[in-house]
Amino acid sequence: MVDGNSAKETGKEGLTRRRFTLGMLIASIAGAFGSLFALLKVLAPEKKGGGYATTILPGDVLVYAQGGSAGSPVTASSMKAGDAVLAYPTGKSSNPANLVQLIKLEEAAFKPPTDISLTDKGFVAYSAICTHLGCTVSWMANRESPAASFTECFCHNSIFNPAEGAKVMGGPAPIPLAQIGVKVMQDGTLAFTSDFKGPIGPQV
Amino acid sequence: MVFKWLDERLELRKFKEKFLSKTFPTHPTFLLGETALFSFITLVATGIFLGFLYEPSTTMVSLFGAMVPAAYASVVRIDLLPMGLIIRRIHHWSAMIMIAAILAHLLRVYFTASYRKPREINWLVGLSLWGTAMIGAFTGYLLPYSQFSVTATSIAYYMAKSMPWIGNWISRLLFAGDFPSDGTVPRFFFMHVMLIPATLIGLISLHMLILIKQKHTEPRSNRDRKEAQGGKRLIGIPIWPEQAVISLSFFLFLLFVVVLMAAYIPLNPIEMYGPPSPGTPVMRPDWYFLVVYGFLKLVPGDLVFTILGGKITPETIGGVIFPALNFLAYALVPFIDRSKEPQHYMANPLHRPFMTSLGVGAIVFLCMMAVAGYIDVLHITTKAMTVYALVATAAAWSVSYALLRWYNGKRGNNAKA
Ligand code: FES
Repeated sequence: MVDGNSAKETGKEGLTRRRFTLGMLIASIAGAFGSLFALLKVLAPEKKGGGYATTILPGDVLVYAQGGSAGSPVTASSMKAGDAVLAYPTGKSSNPANLVQLIKLEEAAFKPPTDISLTDKGFVAYSAICTHLGCTVSWMANRESPAASFTECFCHNSIFNPAEGAKVMGGPAPIPLAQIGVKVMQDGTLAFTSDFKGPIGPQV
Repeated sequence: MVFKWLDERLELRKFKEKFLSKTFPTHPTFLLGETALFSFITLVATGIFLGFLYEPSTTMVSLFGAMVPAAYASVVRIDLLPMGLIIRRIHHWSAMIMIAAILAHLLRVYFTASYRKPREINWLVGLSLWGTAMIGAFTGYLLPYSQFSVTATSIAYYMAKSMPWIGNWISRLLFAGDFPSDGTVPRFFFMHVMLIPATLIGLISLHMLILIKQKHTEPRSNRDRKEAQGGKRLIGIPIWPEQAVISLSFFLFLLFVVVLMAAYIPLNPIEMYGPPSPGTPVMRPDWYFLVVYGFLKLVPGDLVFTILGGKITPETIGGVIFPALNFLAYALVPFIDRSKEPQHYMANPLHRPFMTSLGVGAIVFLCMMAVAGYIDVLHITTKAMTVYALVATAAAWSVSYALLRWYNGKRGNNAKA
């Protein structure tokens, strides 16, 4: 350029001044972002609420989770093969991780990997929280042939086979629903006998 | 009188000469962007009404004897007000129309190649507007805190959480802790009524400023006229009064249609969904999320792999990677189909076999994904649906490409584009 010379003359001082300003600018931007980082920590609190930590203890009695008789114990005599209900351990319905699907099938219907020792008189229970993205699973009852009934999650149509350890038969769910032990008590109600045999809820 | 008083202080005359006399080229499809803008205005107006009455809290309160979250109760009360339900429906319908209008507008710009130099930036701004509008709609889902709201939000929560490395932190940032917990509704409320509208207003302003600076693309027919007259200016009608009158009557017409729809077509009946409960009924998202929803259904559950210690799950693929790739592909359009010279006329899609057939293929693909959202009622297996979707997409793409090539080959003999 034409004025290249004059730029060179004043260049030295101008450059350091410019460098200093630039340094200040970078430092302040870095500082600002640094503090922003702390801010982001505040904005992402560890608020507990969701998450799936079950509080079921062996001996807890199963009660209906919904419908008119929500909260009252499920009785073995009210269910025949091919039926299923959503149930909670009594008094612990505020924790969604405790929601189970109680299913009654023919006793001979169970195949591995179902844990037969956790079933009783055809009753089997699985976590009702879909392992895909956490919707509650539903029961697709087949009135003609109860053995063809299955568990389906209506959110993205994952299908689980209750006779085979809730194995994933289709859809995006990555793993089976976890089985949990149940048994029929003397008074005809049902109680849990174990904890979940596997992870529950979305696998994230 | 008033004009004079204001003019002496604000120099309105200058503004009128400089801005209001600008030329607006005419073409029916130029109203799509306006539809989006007017829907946004309707959204703001109805949103203010709803905002006065809504209570962003999940504290349990009693409503007709039942204990329900306060947010749900306040929306039920809005529905019971005179005009309350219809205003809520106008709000929801306007959101659907706004997103549809932006999409249609994007398609118009795509097929007429109006994104080419110098309008690449405005293409990106337009895409961001679309994305932001959908986030706005999504945060709105949660607010009534019905069973539907909670299910939809919980699905999104787990999608965010499933992201490798940052999932835990991102989900806590967006949902203010785990979901469901009491932090999410206030945070979504703030985003829905403040952050997102402000962003939208900013983006809309930017979009319009750039439009004014770069001027509108013109229909091709204008070019021949201009060449004949030797003129350089845009051909069209002035913003004031012609275009303003058209726009105003169009706005009123749109309002009429939306009110009619709101009056007769039920939407998001929260009283039917009820407050959050343990079961999950069959529910489908609004139409613009059907693509992601359908895709989520098609991803096989055993598609899991690990890179650099991060686990990529079907949820991440369907819920995060797939939408992100979509947006990336759209954003790249003006940088793939480049032109050296600035382009100021709408292209004829029939003369652009490559880009047009690509667009047709993409539309068919997205439609097939939306259909995949219905595999449960259509009784199609996911495998079959995947095959159908791929075949339909490939067929649409190749057939439209072949047809356009053939058409242009025939045309090439008698005319040059
Ligand atoms: S949440 Fe059950 S299939 Fe997606």
